Amino acid sequence: MRYFLYWGCSLEASGANYLYSLRPVCEALGMEFEEIEDWNCCGASVSYAGARDLAIKVLNARNLALAEKKGGYDIVAPCSSCYIQMNKVNHELQEDEALREKVNQILSEAGLNYKGSIRVRHILDVLYNDVGIDALKDRVIKPLNGLKVGGYVGCQSVRPYGEYDSVERPKVHDEILKAIGAEPVKFPKKMQCCGSGIFLPEMELCMGLVKDILEDATSHGAEIISTVCPMCAMNLEMYQGRINKRYGTEFKVPIVYLTQLMAVALGMDLKKGAALHMNFIPPEYVIKPVIEGGI
Amino acid sequence: MLKYNAISIDEIFKNVDYAEEIQKCMQCGMCAGSCPLRHHMDFPPRKIFALLRAGEIEKVLNSKSILLCTSCYSCMVRCPRGIHVMDIMHGLAHYAIRLGRISRKKTATFGQEFWRQVYERGRVDEKDLSRRYFFSNGFIEGIKNAVSMADMGLVMLFHGRMKLLPEKKIKGIKELRLMLDKAQQM
Repeated sequence: MRYFLYWGCSLEASGANYLYSLRPVCEALGMEFEEIEDWNCCGASVSYAGARDLAIKVLNARNLALAEKKGGYDIVAPCSSCYIQMNKVNHELQEDEALREKVNQILSEAGLNYKGSIRVRHILDVLYNDVGIDALKDRVIKPLNGLKVGGYVGCQSVRPYGEYDSVERPKVHDEILKAIGAEPVKFPKKMQCCGSGIFLPEMELCMGLVKDILEDATSHGAEIISTVCPMCAMNLEMYQGRINKRYGTEFKVPIVYLTQLMAVALGMDLKKGAALHMNFIPPEYVIKPVIEGGI
Repeated sequence: MLKYNAISIDEIFKNVDYAEEIQKCMQCGMCAGSCPLRHHMDFPPRKIFALLRAGEIEKVLNSKSILLCTSCYSCMVRCPRGIHVMDIMHGLAHYAIRLGRISRKKTATFGQEFWRQVYERGRVDEKDLSRRYFFSNGFIEGIKNAVSMADMGLVMLFHGRMKLLPEKKIKGIKELRLMLDKAQQM
């Protein structure tokens, strides 16, 4: 199973623990990754302030064209924003010939051309459909013995097409949690947006969104929250202190990437494999007791 | 009475992708009900569309709603008429900023600085983005902003979640800029 891994800008900085845990987990599950040579940013969700839609399409088309030229494997995007941007542009280019022609005319400035043969996929899609739940279960060495996890899906990882999961009632994230022995808790706000890319400039408004999500997950029993998006992780984890101050709450909920929990369950080192030491709110206190008390 | 420098709906259709789709809107309000920041908007998407159809273009371009989109796609996946609600909101925001009507200055600046990162390097350097955003309103305010967020910066640094070296430009940056310039002008 060979793929292009398009990890994007965040996973090299604020989302470093995602990339750090993702690689060993995916490799252990038989996936091989290549980098799209000289890739560029996807534009994320706030570029529209400075760029018109066509420029953002060109940005993504360049990556698609580079991938097509260098092997044509499926592109796996772990960052939800990268996924949604690239997947959306890819669909539009595949479905609209006139647009593809227009974009290709621009791409020709760099000697590039995109025919439309690439598939863009989210990491959850690949884990669920290519690796599969049974294969994952087979590899679990240290099951998480009923650790109550709030599988926070957020908004962008399954939208807008719902290609591998429901856009309203997603299950893949929870299925993976179950496969590694955790107990996903149900909470209604699992798809409520956290404020995404505009959290920093609109902090006063977006803190309320995150407070609601944290309150909902913990009141339904979550001891820890897992996510697959660097913006969700950042917004849910980083601002808990400020939210506590603002609303008089007492949140100290560890926020981890799903791949970090998977690394623990696959028996990897808590530091070298799961990168738990990179989290701001230490998740070890919640995770260690369940794996040490278990088989 | 003639409005000074009035912008017609045709200008909107010309400058905002998918904007013609507002003609399909049946005013059900699903978009408004699904929007996470609806309580903070002066006009939720449904009203934005109604205002456009009523010719109240200035109200729309000066509305803070168009810059409060978190890009969660809820409106788009739920719209029973399949309207690209979110894309239209983004397009309106872009057009309004180009015309100098900036209802949410901080968010507009953040987005513009983000785009500048992409245009200058081909990639985004998170710490440079924050620095430029904090200092976008002059030195004194920049220091205030930086001090108020310093705790977060330090936490990120100590947990290995900040790239220490500056982000390099991608190799194909010259060609990328050429392409983006062309796209912006087309």
